[in-house]
Amino acid sequence: MAKKRLTRGRLLAAAAPLAAAPLVGKLALDGRETAAHDHAGHGSARVPASHAGGVRGHAAMVGAEAPAVGGPRDLDALLYPPPALPYRPGRVRAYELVAVDAELEIAPGVFFPAWTYNGTVPGPVIRATEDDLLRVRFRNEGSHPHTIHFHGIHPANMDGVFEIVAPGEELTYEFPARPAGFHLYHCHATPLKKHIHKGLYGAFIIDPREPRPPAQELVMVMNGFDTDGDGENNFYTVNGRSFYYARYPIRVRRSQLVRVYLANLTEFDLVNSFHLHADFFRYQPNGTGQHWEYTDTVMQCQGQRGVLEIEFTGTGLHMFHAHQSEFAELGWMGFFEVVD
Amino acid sequence: MEARTASLGSQLGWRLWALVPVLALALAVGAVVTGGSRLVDLVGTNPPPADEFDIRRVEFRPGELRIVVRNPQRDDLTIANVNVDDAIVPFTVEGSATLGRLRSATIVVPFDWVEGDPISVGVTSSTGIQTVEEIPAAVATPEPSARGFLGYALIGGLVGILPVALGLLWLPALRRASAAWLSGFMAFTAGLLVFLGLDALSEAFEQQAALPPGLGGSGLVLLGVALSFLGMTALAGRLGGGGTAAGVALALLVSIGIGVHNFGEGLAIGASFAVGELQLGTFLIVGFMVHNVTEGLGIAAPVARSRVTLLALAGLVLVAGAPTILGAWLGGYTSSDVLAALFFGLAAGAAFQVVVEVGRYVAHNAPGGLRSPHAIVGFLAGIAVMYATGILAG
Repeated sequence: MAKKRLTRGRLLAAAAPLAAAPLVGKLALDGRETAAHDHAGHGSARVPASHAGGVRGHAAMVGAEAPAVGGPRDLDALLYPPPALPYRPGRVRAYELVAVDAELEIAPGVFFPAWTYNGTVPGPVIRATEDDLLRVRFRNEGSHPHTIHFHGIHPANMDGVFEIVAPGEELTYEFPARPAGFHLYHCHATPLKKHIHKGLYGAFIIDPREPRPPAQELVMVMNGFDTDGDGENNFYTVNGRSFYYARYPIRVRRSQLVRVYLANLTEFDLVNSFHLHADFFRYQPNGTGQHWEYTDTVMQCQGQRGVLEIEFTGTGLHMFHAHQSEFAELGWMGFFEVVD
Repeated sequence: MEARTASLGSQLGWRLWALVPVLALALAVGAVVTGGSRLVDLVGTNPPPADEFDIRRVEFRPGELRIVVRNPQRDDLTIANVNVDDAIVPFTVEGSATLGRLRSATIVVPFDWVEGDPISVGVTSSTGIQTVEEIPAAVATPEPSARGFLGYALIGGLVGILPVALGLLWLPALRRASAAWLSGFMAFTAGLLVFLGLDALSEAFEQQAALPPGLGGSGLVLLGVALSFLGMTALAGRLGGGGTAAGVALALLVSIGIGVHNFGEGLAIGASFAVGELQLGTFLIVGFMVHNVTEGLGIAAPVARSRVTLLALAGLVLVAGAPTILGAWLGGYTSSDVLAALFFGLAAGAAFQVVVEVGRYVAHNAPGGLRSPHAIVGFLAGIAVMYATGILAG
């Protein structure tokens, strides 16, 4: 895409081999020698012109320096899930989700025409305890037909695949919450890729009968935004705003267990990942079963999710980000601020 | 007296009548404007604006990138986000981040770029559309300095003045040549100028094609060609005293035609080098020297039969060659793509006009006129030699 300035030069250069007289060959050789000499000079003799500045890059991407949208508590409703309730089979857990089109500012000054549940991307966290009766009233106030497809065990006619909800219509999904674990919900109208990358998805926690140990609980939904429609994400975020937790680090206590419900709803890219700096954590895939992995990096395919438990050893700013450097530098990076 | 008043009245009258279409047009325009989008709504919906920037220049400064962007579209465009190599980077904008039509701004990015590496720069509008410029190799942008100024002057002198002066050394040989051979060399000059004119014209169109549509299409180039062609015609008329320009007058016209072209050549060299697209090696400089030496021959041919002082010859050399230096300075330290397109149009027009003058001279003075074998072969040889030596400058 670089502008071509010396057009004749380029044009004629293409024809040069045809007329390569001995003189030309000699001159070309001379030119090459000069170039090689110049290049050798760079490495040893002088400091590259590119390095005159100070420290740059991620070191500067913290606090007010990080380019993120909004105020410090804007995403609290998405980050902090509603509390877990004790096991009581048959209890009704009622939620209302409304599909609305919304123009969201995902990075400073960058607006994305999103399709949302309740006006945010990701949508609200839905939480129930195993065997609660989940009743989700869904109204479509958007401009396209949508559904809600929950991951989990439920009747086939509550799956959000066949019951398309047209704009202006509504449908109530009702089923017992199972199995215990950390799941997702998302729109399953076609074209699927479009309906997901536009923002119709969210986190879905089903607490086990035996409650998990008390902890500071956080929800992190990894996603991306393709703002120019070329099938590649321009921005990557957690909970919908690039670099948000770099600007506003998540404050946690060293003495308290931290539990992160981590899900990957990134479209276009096969995998996303979470890497914690300066500490390790336990990872339970899908939030089910007894298998825990001890690591500092987990990888999730599209739609995969799991539960992380962290007991911080030290205090201070602990970075977390996708270990795909590209995603990290396009917004998927933040900090835990660990305090005593 | 009465007749004179009447004629004054009728003179005023036709001018007033000429205003009628203008006023009618103003009314029609007013009606369309106040109608807003209603007219378009009849046939459909306008597509959204492209929201792409025109990235005009990326400068590599110590620890810093400077990106000059322009809004090429009708609607406003806001700089919201900047990427370097697919990573979001902090940036500041010199001037307003929201650009009106054809407005430019400079984005400053603190960045440790790697010399010689390819690098991409992306500017994202508030609607999320990203415009990416791929730069094949990051090279420090030269800043104006006495050293650099002198350097460009030396390079310009080497590729512009020196070869023209060397080419003039053919003069003694030409003086001894027969009339037929001399007319061949004159035709050679015409061929050379046609080559330069066409070269400038294609460069002008190339420059113009890279401009946003709002900055005038091929009309800009045509304006340049017409302006210089007519200007040179007037000059030729004055120098030739109403008849056919010959001798020093014709040589001066040839020099001007070549000089305007060489200004463009200097401009291209300076600009390409400044943005890291050109390896200004020994090979290229020598190539331009060989290429331009024939220009000296072109200036020598018209004065082969006239008395001419050394001072006049030096003047001719400067007129033809010195503009290369000016061009290199301008191209190396400034960037104006609009002027460049206009300028190469001017160069083409000047060259073509001088072809007309030389052709006229050959037609009048050559034994056998334009149809003589010497003239035909000379003309073709002029083009062929310029083409062949041009390969060296590629």
